Amino acid sequence: MLNELLKKLIKTASGRFRFYFSLAGMSVAVILILLAVQLQVNFNSLLYNKSNQDSIANFLVVSKNMQSGNTNLTEQDIAELRKQSFIQAVGLLTPANFKVSAQSVSQNFPLYTDLFLEAVPDQFLDVNNENWKWNNSTSFVPIIIPNSFLDMYNFGFAISQGTPQLTKRAITAIPIQLNFTGGLKKENYPARIIGFSDRVSSVLVPQAFMDWANQRFGSGSIKATRVIIQTKDPGSPQLVNYLKQHDLTTDTDRTRFSKYRQIVNAVVNASWISGGIMFLFALLVFTLFIQLTIASCREEIVLLVTLGAAPKQLQRFLLKRFYPVNICIVLVALMILSAGQFFLSKRLVEQSMFIDKTLSIYTIAVAIILLVLLWMVNYSSIKKALRTK
Amino acid sequence: MTISLENVLPIPLADKPAVSNSEIWNRQIVFNQSEWIKIKAPSGTGKTTFIHILYHLRQDYKGKVLADGNAVVDFSSQELSTLRQQALSIVFQDMKLFPQLTAKENIQLNRVLPSSTYYGEEVIEEMAERLGITHILNQKAGICSYGEQQRIAIIRALVQPFNWLLLDEPFSHLDKKNAAAAAQLISSECTKRSAGFILLDLEDDTYFSYHRQLQL
Repeated sequence: MLNELLKKLIKTASGRFRFYFSLAGMSVAVILILLAVQLQVNFNSLLYNKSNQDSIANFLVVSKNMQSGNTNLTEQDIAELRKQSFIQAVGLLTPANFKVSAQSVSQNFPLYTDLFLEAVPDQFLDVNNENWKWNNSTSFVPIIIPNSFLDMYNFGFAISQGTPQLTKRAITAIPIQLNFTGGLKKENYPARIIGFSDRVSSVLVPQAFMDWANQRFGSGSIKATRVIIQTKDPGSPQLVNYLKQHDLTTDTDRTRFSKYRQIVNAVVNASWISGGIMFLFALLVFTLFIQLTIASCREEIVLLVTLGAAPKQLQRFLLKRFYPVNICIVLVALMILSAGQFFLSKRLVEQSMFIDKTLSIYTIAVAIILLVLLWMVNYSSIKKALRTK
Repeated sequence: MTISLENVLPIPLADKPAVSNSEIWNRQIVFNQSEWIKIKAPSGTGKTTFIHILYHLRQDYKGKVLADGNAVVDFSSQELSTLRQQALSIVFQDMKLFPQLTAKENIQLNRVLPSSTYYGEEVIEEMAERLGITHILNQKAGICSYGEQQRIAIIRALVQPFNWLLLDEPFSHLDKKNAAAAAQLISSECTKRSAGFILLDLEDDTYFSYHRQLQL
């Protein structure tokens, strides 16, 4: 009852356009701010989530410089690499210590090649495949080859040799026979290509198989010549300097990942800053609108207070008048971003990148913080406008 | 509630010779709960000023106004609004209605302002009936005649809880018959609440059986 009467007395100020304008500005600002948070979270999940096949996390294969003669990495070299703060993890690439050749068992696809094999700990791989395992009971040896090998074959070898070009799917269906020669032993094993890597340019087999095969066919101990390291920032001068000082070398092209990161960071920052500035301006306009409304009802408010209306009653009424629209704005922003996130996650799955289908808890938390902030600004500007009689 | 005045003197009136003859200004006076008081005030003696000081609408005076021993100047805005909602009701000389609200809405406002209402909504109709303004209840107050506005203002003051009623020339726009009806309504409402009132007017009158009559 009281609210209905107050509604008739305290009419929203005439500047409707100003009001909608400030609401529109506020909506865009809230969306930008929440977008910045969500982008950052998505980016982090791409960077650190192990389920991302082609993650842009930074893995570098490091070896001794060829000019230095002996390319073996000593235990001390590796221990020192592990100690560096800018290196998160170090994995050894284990080379095969025996001769390997591969041949196709299919008549339709005659192929024979000498080959080399390496193994790398699973955590450094960018391929998730349930067949990537080996024990005594597995029926074939899984192999991962670099994407670049496939390109070389399809666009160079196949054309010049007159063999058919192969899709990834086709190649994984071809049964292969691996021939091992070590000492006096000669054995062959069925194998199959199960995945393609961008990260390690080598022909990989599971570590367990490599350890077993090296014992069976190999002679003497094997020294690691290459390691794979995981680092947050391959472009960091610290890392580059360290590698230089220790006569180590790496695939410099990988630093392009750091460029992606810079771009994402720039987008996130731009979104933050423009969102923040717009939010401030929208708040200012909104605050002015509140003050304008109260100023235009000055006489009514003075008479209401004269008749005994408590300032708290008026405050509560005005807050109820102005605050709900803020809640609507934040909810709409969250809804838009939720939809965006859902479609983005679907699109990225097609490119083997995995992000959450729903908004992150951080985005929700920031939305709540914005709501609290809006409440405080609403409350204080109403209080201030009522006080200056 | 007891209202006490300790040497109250409005600053604009301080130099006027009439002040020395006043029974109110610059005196020690106590108005006790349930007292019906008439203050006769010729023009220019500060009648409305006095009402506004009691209602704490102006503070440009020397001395002290105490409500139950507490200086009104020290009241917070919250305490002041509680005082006006629960204890102190008023009929202004210039009515002070909201012209954009109907007569009924003007009255409603005072009824619903306190957190616990004193009367139900039906009492508005009853009082309007007694004062003969039922037909204008749904009319905007701004287009009502002064006589009608005055009766709206009187009903508005009576639908809220109070133990003191301040009346500033409440019948100035009413004929004798309507004034008598209004006075009767005021009497019965004050008796019901065992409330007191302070009525200021230019002339003597016989509408009430006053407990005390003073000269401003």
